[in-house]
Amino acid sequence: MHDEATLDDARLTTLAAVLDTIIPPSPERGLPGAGELGLAPSVSGEIERTPALAALIATGLARIEHAASTATGFAALEPEARERLLREDAATEAGFLRVLVPQTYVSYYEHPRVVEALGLEPRPPYPLGYSLEPGDPSLLDPVRQRPKLYRDC
Amino acid sequence: MANDPVDILIVGAGASGAALAWSLSDTRMNILCLEQGGWMDPAQYPSTGAGWERRRFSDFSLSPNSRGRRDDYPINDSESPISVSNFNAVGGGTILYAGHFPRFHPSDFKVKTLDGVADDWPIDYTTLEPYYAQNDQMMGVAGLAGDPAYPPKEPPLPPVPLGKLGETLARGFNTLGWHWWPSDSAIATREHAGRARCINLGPCLTGCAQGAKGSTDVTYWPAAIRRGVALRTHCRVREITLGPDGMANGVLYHDAAGALQRQAAEVVVLACNGVGTPRLLLNSRSKQFPDGLANRNGLVGKNLMLHPYAMVSGSFPERLEGYKGPTGCMLISQEFYETDASRGFLRGYSFEGVRGDGPVSTAILSMAAGELPWGAEHHDSYEALFDRGASFVGICEDLPETHNCVTLDPELVDADGIPAPKIQYRLSENSEKMLAHAVARAEEVLGAAGATRTRVQAPLPPAGWHLMGTARMGTDPERSIVNEWGRCHDVSNLFIVDGSIFVTSAGVNPTNTIQALALYIADTMKQNLANLFD
Ligand SMILES: Cc1cc2nc3c(=O)[nH]c(=O)nc-3n(C[C@H](O)[C@H](O)[C@H](O)COP(=O)(O)OP(=O)(O)OC[C@H]3O[C@@H](n4cnc5c(N)ncnc54)[C@H](O)[C@@H]3O)c2cc1C
Repeated sequence: MHDEATLDDARLTTLAAVLDTIIPPSPERGLPGAGELGLAPSVSGEIERTPALAALIATGLARIEHAASTATGFAALEPEARERLLREDAATEAGFLRVLVPQTYVSYYEHPRVVEALGLEPRPPYPLGYSLEPGDPSLLDPVRQRPKLYRDC
Repeated sequence: MANDPVDILIVGAGASGAALAWSLSDTRMNILCLEQGGWMDPAQYPSTGAGWERRRFSDFSLSPNSRGRRDDYPINDSESPISVSNFNAVGGGTILYAGHFPRFHPSDFKVKTLDGVADDWPIDYTTLEPYYAQNDQMMGVAGLAGDPAYPPKEPPLPPVPLGKLGETLARGFNTLGWHWWPSDSAIATREHAGRARCINLGPCLTGCAQGAKGSTDVTYWPAAIRRGVALRTHCRVREITLGPDGMANGVLYHDAAGALQRQAAEVVVLACNGVGTPRLLLNSRSKQFPDGLANRNGLVGKNLMLHPYAMVSGSFPERLEGYKGPTGCMLISQEFYETDASRGFLRGYSFEGVRGDGPVSTAILSMAAGELPWGAEHHDSYEALFDRGASFVGICEDLPETHNCVTLDPELVDADGIPAPKIQYRLSENSEKMLAHAVARAEEVLGAAGATRTRVQAPLPPAGWHLMGTARMGTDPERSIVNEWGRCHDVSNLFIVDGSIFVTSAGVNPTNTIQALALYIADTMKQNLANLFD
């Protein structure tokens, strides 16, 4: 990780709001927003491993705060306004979201709370594995009736 | 003492090197295998820990160029619509492979006679049949007897369960009256030869932590080593050396520390796969072979075949439990396998059913396909995608063309400074037509199975995982590199046993045939020991 690119608290607050805009909460599905899940530090940490990308995020967040141009900042905007602002930014500076969105998706969809809300057990596949139905053997009956399909030679 | 001369030196410990080593081990000859990678530790495979899905996109990526492990070598595949996927370790590509394990059809060995294209193989299905059966036992093949698409065969283990997803697809085939059958799969569905049974972990393509998938580090290698074969890891062969008599007399290799070592041998066997083998031959230049070893006719590296893949994914209204069970092992359809010229192309393809993805992969792959927006619509889109997808890959037979080739990149080198391979590849008109046919038929059967929409990738970009044809087999030294039992026409103590010796590619995954060929070549060597070089 690179110290000079590490985000301060204010920028982390902006990032959390950006993440909540990328994946907003969905209370009816029991799904939190990505920012609300507390993913901002880990998402920025992952991105900061690549110095060039760290700079992209830092300047992107600064640009968004500047564009929000309110005393309370980007985080205080309504969700629709945040999304509109991010889309406008992406239209001119595509790199910021191109880096941020996949990293957010990875961190979000491996989070135990999200995995559980999707109806899965929050665990790696090994060692418990899963059980699978063998399938209905009669499904093969019509195929068994067929003459051979290969050519003799 | 480590570098005393050996009788047989095998380069590459993947699918074919392992099978050959095991078969030759009953001769009690002094056999050594050099492998550039190391042993994998199944306890460290991604599926054993948190963050298991993300590793598919980093240290367990399919491409050696993105993995960038020291054991890998880079491959310039910028001049190909299909990039190379491989793995470099004890087990080779079988560490990552899906284990879908069909045999060739008898007609695949006779393409010139039957369909007037490419060349016939110098051997036939009947020759390989006993070696397929032997390989089925050693790799632990699950399947079901009675498939009308094949001559009779008896897989030793019961088939991989279809699961809800497989049943859904099977009903689609039945609606259309098309062939399908439970796949032959190199997956232990019961305990087999000390291997635990499959527990449906799902992500076979990042290594099997259970050891149920037949990768050769858990099948052939333990048996071969018990019988006295030596396997030296982290040894990357730089070149094969020649004696004054024009015979191979050993290799130069870099050890784990990068130091150059020499290993002398009576016989050298290459098992580095369809890209690694031509690379090594082209890197082995001498006065006798200025254009690369065994390359008098200039065909080393030519005729690269990759199997263009048509991937068609369907979205279904209900959840399919597709994240459970072996990713690529469930069912196969060979309705469009044998040539029917009225389709507008020659030869044919198989459909392999592919299960669904976990939550992270669903998000990343759907995003890449432009199907998963961020923002207010994100959750609706994701809900329609997660665990509601099932796919087919149409594995299209690729015919040999000399312009599709492996050469040496003028600049790119691996960690030991050895020139790296470059591939140049383009799709033929026949392949384009076959892909289009496979896409249309896959959409039809997915529709019949209940899919509400489909997504197509053809050719599938990362599907360069079947590497074939670059040191082809034949009886004519002007038109082939090795003879009918894998011996180089130009160097009579140099053998090749990997996918590079394929004459044609058939329309199925190749590894069962690669290994059956390696077992057949080993047997032929044993039968001809007294006059092996005549
Ligand atoms: C993601 C993926 C999925 C696949 N799925 C399937 C499937 O379902 N069914 C199927 O049939 N096939 C599948 N395959 C393909 C299968 O893995 C290959 O066909 C098979 O492994 C090829 O066997 P091989 O012996 O030719 O080479 P490999 O298994 O590739 O072995 C070559 C070995 O040689 C070593 N080597 C190369 N050069 C050198 C050198 N200079 N010095 C020392 N060592 C060297 C390499 O490190 C490697 O270990 C898949 C492959 C991948 C990557």
